[in-house]
Amino acid sequence: MDEKREDQEQAEASAQEQSAPKASEEALDVEALDLSIETVEDRINPSETNVFDK
Amino acid sequence: MSFPITLAFVPQGHFTQPYLALPCLKAWLQEAGFEDVEQRDLSIEAYDHFLSPGYLRRAQERVRERLPLSAFEGRENLPLGELRAFRSAAESEVSANAVIADVEAAKAVLRSEDFYDVDRYVPAVRTLYHGLRLVSAAHYPSELTPHNFTMGYANDRSEEVLAATLDEDQNPFIEFYREEVLPGLIARKPRLLGLSVVYGSQLIPALTLGRMVKAALPDCHVTAGGGFLAYIGEKLMGAAGVEGCLDSMIFHEGEAPMAELAAALEAWDGPEQANLSAIGSLTWFKHSDTGCETVANAPAHPVALNEAPPPDFDGLPFDLYLAPEVVLPYDINRGCYYGECSFCTLPTVIGPGYRTRAAETIAGHLTDLRDRHGVQNFSFITDCMPPGMIRDLPEALIEAQPDIPAEARMKWWCDARIEPRAYTKKAAIRLHESGCRKLLFGFESATPRLLKLMRKAQSPRSVSEVARNCSEAGISVTLYAMVGFPSETVEEARATLNFIREHKDVVREVSLQTFHIDEVALTYRDPEQFNIKILDGAGTDLQLYHDYLSEQGMTQQEAAEMFDEMMNALRADLPIFSGDNIYYFMQKSHYFLHLARGTTPDEFVAQCQQRTEAKTAREAGGPLRTNTARSSVALPFSHVAAANTLAHPLARAARPDFLTGRFVADAQAVAEEQLEPLTPQDCVLVYDEVGHEFVELSRDGLKVLEAIERAGNVDNLLQSLKSTTPGARERLTNYIAQLHNKGLITTFQPAPALPSPSTEPHELTSR
Repeated sequence: MDEKREDQEQAEASAQEQSAPKASEEALDVEALDLSIETVEDRINPSETNVFDK
Repeated sequence: MSFPITLAFVPQGHFTQPYLALPCLKAWLQEAGFEDVEQRDLSIEAYDHFLSPGYLRRAQERVRERLPLSAFEGRENLPLGELRAFRSAAESEVSANAVIADVEAAKAVLRSEDFYDVDRYVPAVRTLYHGLRLVSAAHYPSELTPHNFTMGYANDRSEEVLAATLDEDQNPFIEFYREEVLPGLIARKPRLLGLSVVYGSQLIPALTLGRMVKAALPDCHVTAGGGFLAYIGEKLMGAAGVEGCLDSMIFHEGEAPMAELAAALEAWDGPEQANLSAIGSLTWFKHSDTGCETVANAPAHPVALNEAPPPDFDGLPFDLYLAPEVVLPYDINRGCYYGECSFCTLPTVIGPGYRTRAAETIAGHLTDLRDRHGVQNFSFITDCMPPGMIRDLPEALIEAQPDIPAEARMKWWCDARIEPRAYTKKAAIRLHESGCRKLLFGFESATPRLLKLMRKAQSPRSVSEVARNCSEAGISVTLYAMVGFPSETVEEARATLNFIREHKDVVREVSLQTFHIDEVALTYRDPEQFNIKILDGAGTDLQLYHDYLSEQGMTQQEAAEMFDEMMNALRADLPIFSGDNIYYFMQKSHYFLHLARGTTPDEFVAQCQQRTEAKTAREAGGPLRTNTARSSVALPFSHVAAANTLAHPLARAARPDFLTGRFVADAQAVAEEQLEPLTPQDCVLVYDEVGHEFVELSRDGLKVLEAIERAGNVDNLLQSLKSTTPGARERLTNYIAQLHNKGLITTFQPAPALPSPSTEPHELTSR
């Protein structure tokens, strides 16, 4: 899975890096953006912490 | 003439190492003259089968048919009863392709040297967890995890249990047995099939297999035994319809009864049923013209353990277990030499009395197993070692490995009781020299009043002393702790938490449990002693766990909430519990394998800390671009809100939990009433296909990622936003840092060459 990231980096770095800055401003109204981001930190159930039984 | 016997450990048990029951039975049966004994770990076979690209692809198709995400569009709200379906549909839709693509590689990581590389280990474990979520979604509402298997059917009602054995829509093991197990059994034609049922999670899968084998092989006697059946077996054998799944059940130790049963069946050649009334500890169905009668025989004598053969692991699929090295279980003793703790019912499970093997016998068996299987690591299956064993076993193990340097000796871990006179500094050093790398002590509480009620005969000071002695010797210390013992107050629970935090330099892991009452516990038999009133569940003919009302201290609900508070604090304070480092704790023996390899507890903890700190320190600076190995799907409700609601203690109580709890009949209604339905929220669930993590963004979040892609990289984007105010720019920069933290933006080395013409921008659409 790490190789996947590396391969991708090699293939895309050149593509993304070489492209000139484009007019992103009109497409990205930063002032009005909803910039929420969340991940689930799965709560651990008692059944998963019982290393004695399982 | 051959008398083929098959022993099966049925799903679901943990997937990292074999269990001990079948190897003990196989060794005993062979010593009794039955040479044709096959043992199968159907739990690991099932995990391996389910976690394969072909099976997962079919699961993906099933989920799309059974739980289409489109069914949740346009809804005004989403009540608790539909949240699991929604979460399953959303996660399957966005992650299935990546999980299917990587599942074989993930298993390979856990089975190889790559296991020891945390950057490979964590995504691999996540891939397997998410693969099991896909399997579960395909059989919704059933759930198969690395630690449990539950269905919508209650485990404490025989009618539901038996119905579950016939429900192919929800029971994934029916197809698994039919296609992967029965053909081999039909070819082999065993005369006796023994099913090992250690946990509640195995009950339905065991009866499912019993039913199918009895239908396919009418001449095969199907018996079952194991820890869980020691609790509910008598009730189960009295329930109507179980004779369609089993012929008999063995209580407590199975070795002698199994050999006697095999001998009786082999000797019998009459047209009628064999007479099994002389076999100790056997309960069996006696069939006659008038019907079926349950006959319970007298108990058998306990096994004289020191004369028992060593377990025989031949035939188990060592290459399937999800660990780079197999850790073999071995029973140094049976029963508990202390046997006084008021909450503990384990001595009931194994049978009467405390028995032990001699230290020299143990050392001899371990070196034999090492040489026979090429293994170095063992987990001792024991409630605890008595002081004499703590003194003698290290000497015997060191003596049995002459000329082998300490670091190359066999390594082991086990459960233990706080014995301050035995776990001295000197003894701890000797234990470490003999290969001990981890001990798990029954700590339970830091409150002397509760320890007295529990009859632990230990003090917090002695816990502190023993933990420090062991830790200083290089042995990793885990504490078992309990929350919600009758009369425990919130303050007392917090005192336990504080004790652990104050000892975090010597305590590496905590196995925290909510207290529950089973029917053989002293708390059930003598509730007045604990000032509690036991509640009975209506219509539960297989009930094992009971709700209760306590006159003082926390209610059960408050204890469940306190569990969350304590677990959250432990995750913040203990490095092995922080973030996804907790996978090492949750997969049996995985952390131990690092210790066995030479990493010290201090070194391992430092690695965990560094990893957590490095992740949180990711910023928006440097050469950054998007991680295009991702897929995303637009959702009408928040996936995170659904997951958080489902994790609420009220919602958890509404799910049957065969391991630790009860099926609370009205819990769903209570939870529905108190937990607000979700209201619609436009968001996007993204799956990082490299790190195998879910991240939820607003729709605007996707726009930011797309803008970075159009700009080429983060710097280019920021340079292009010339007219943006400093405040907005700072907001965006902080957001980019969070995207970096979550793996959706990655660092890169600026490329010297022109782009390859074949490079296509990644399309941000759901797959």
